Amino acid sequence: MSSSNAVGYLAGIYQGFSGTIKGLMVTLRYLFKPSITVNYPVAKLKPYDRFRGALLFDAVTCIGCNLCVKACPSDCIDLQNMTTPEGKKIAKVSWYSIDFGKCNYCKLCEEACPTKPKSVWHSLDYENVFFSRHEMVRAWQQGDPWCGTYFDPADKKYRVSQEQIPIEEIPARR
Amino acid sequence: MTEIRSQDLGERIRENQQEKFSDSLKPATRNPQPATSLKTDQMFVNLGPQHPSTHGVLRLALTLDGEVIIRAEPDVGYLHRGTEKLSEVRGYHHCVVMTDRWDYVSAMPNNLVFCLASEKLLNLQVPERAEYLRVIMCELNRLASHLLFFGTYGIDIGAFTPFLHAFREREMVLDLFEMVCGARMTFNYIRIGGVAQDLPQSWIEKCKEFLGYFKFRLKEYDDLLSFNPIFMDRTKNVGLITPRQAVDWGLSGPNIRGSGVPYDVRKTDPYSVYGKLDFEVCVGESGSCWDRYYVRMREMAQSVRLVEHCLNALPSGDIVAKGVAKMPKPMPGEAYAHVEGSRGDLGIYLVSDGSFSPYRMHVRAPSYINLAILQEALVGLKVSDMIAVLGSIDIVLGEVDR
Repeated sequence: MSSSNAVGYLAGIYQGFSGTIKGLMVTLRYLFKPSITVNYPVAKLKPYDRFRGALLFDAVTCIGCNLCVKACPSDCIDLQNMTTPEGKKIAKVSWYSIDFGKCNYCKLCEEACPTKPKSVWHSLDYENVFFSRHEMVRAWQQGDPWCGTYFDPADKKYRVSQEQIPIEEIPARR
Repeated sequence: MTEIRSQDLGERIRENQQEKFSDSLKPATRNPQPATSLKTDQMFVNLGPQHPSTHGVLRLALTLDGEVIIRAEPDVGYLHRGTEKLSEVRGYHHCVVMTDRWDYVSAMPNNLVFCLASEKLLNLQVPERAEYLRVIMCELNRLASHLLFFGTYGIDIGAFTPFLHAFREREMVLDLFEMVCGARMTFNYIRIGGVAQDLPQSWIEKCKEFLGYFKFRLKEYDDLLSFNPIFMDRTKNVGLITPRQAVDWGLSGPNIRGSGVPYDVRKTDPYSVYGKLDFEVCVGESGSCWDRYYVRMREMAQSVRLVEHCLNALPSGDIVAKGVAKMPKPMPGEAYAHVEGSRGDLGIYLVSDGSFSPYRMHVRAPSYINLAILQEALVGLKVSDMIAVLGSIDIVLGEVDR
């Protein structure tokens, strides 16, 4: 009785050791392989072509048809048509805003856009970090850059957001 | 020198300390009483909602007697976003975007089940290429989801290394998704009537390359974790769920198959092209944590097999059915569709009143129903085993609360 207990005890110890060593052998193999991670802030990965990053808007091609506003599931796009002096709407946009706090990054607006090239599209920019909630709402008016400006309630002015990342400068992925 | 066994040594040290520091404990240690006559107070413990082992914002209200759980009540609702109600004011295409947010770890089956239900309402015939693409994506997503389970379950038990291995492979699956649909977790890829985009160039080669690489990793996972004696001691014969219990509580997915019930929607009620495909339903034996774990590991091998089969049999043709409106307006009626998601039988019930948005949507979320069995499975277990059971049920709180 006691001898079988001792054998079982020793067998348990042996199994515990051999199992641990088996696992360690797997990790040992990876010790000599190159690292697969990337030093993020220094080195960056470029997303694949279809990547759905932050939305960009181009007023030159936009015809103000409101289809992207209707396609958006979370109402994050706002649009106003330009008007003639008589007050009649024309196929030009005077105000366009995207709320990145609400955006789902679902590509439905880009698919709905009828122009060529698309007036609203997903860029490859994945570093959409904002300093404040106001900065999340990007508005475009006459004379603004593509990515738009945000309303700063502190001095009640529209500002160009700082630290925009030029994603085109990122080297190709893998 | 006389040999002193470690146990005896420990007792002696304890006795010495008690003699030194506490006179009141003397009688109890000298004349130990039987455990039944010990009077202990019940203790109430809140596990969560910010506990690192609960995999999300889940609160478990535990009543303990010493170290033994005598009552466990899962408390859910911390991640409720009301997508079922929101769908009542949105169009059918918009609802697909919201389905991504239920089970964010495996969003493809969510997309699929909503599209299947809507297609039933709209009487759409999906092209065969789209059906194959859907199956490929769902099975790859099952891989990604089970890999996440494998990694986090190791962490729950105390093994950190498998997590890194699992995430390395999961990243490759997510890269494949990113190439196809542009997103890594919230895909919005499977659409009503088909899929959003066709495969990009050289995607099939990349996918095959990954599958060839992944097959050999499964053996490594077994060495690392599955057959590790320490891991098996922690999970075998722990949290047993009998087949009877599993059916009574309405479990589904790997949890019911771990108990030995071969219930798989892909076999019992084939949808999409699963009827034409050849795969096994993996079942466990005893319904322990280890069985549920190992069912998932074997399912990964089956998923690889399914994807390979689909890639070889992929027909050419359209990817979207003809005549899908931009704002679909189905006839009044109701439809129920269910699929085998990564966590179980994921069903959706849609009622249409003939308008642009559903009149009512209800989700049969497998995580939510699987979670309920904790009330029974945790009773009588020690606190340390509780995490093992909770991890083996594999819940995603986004799906539990919706």
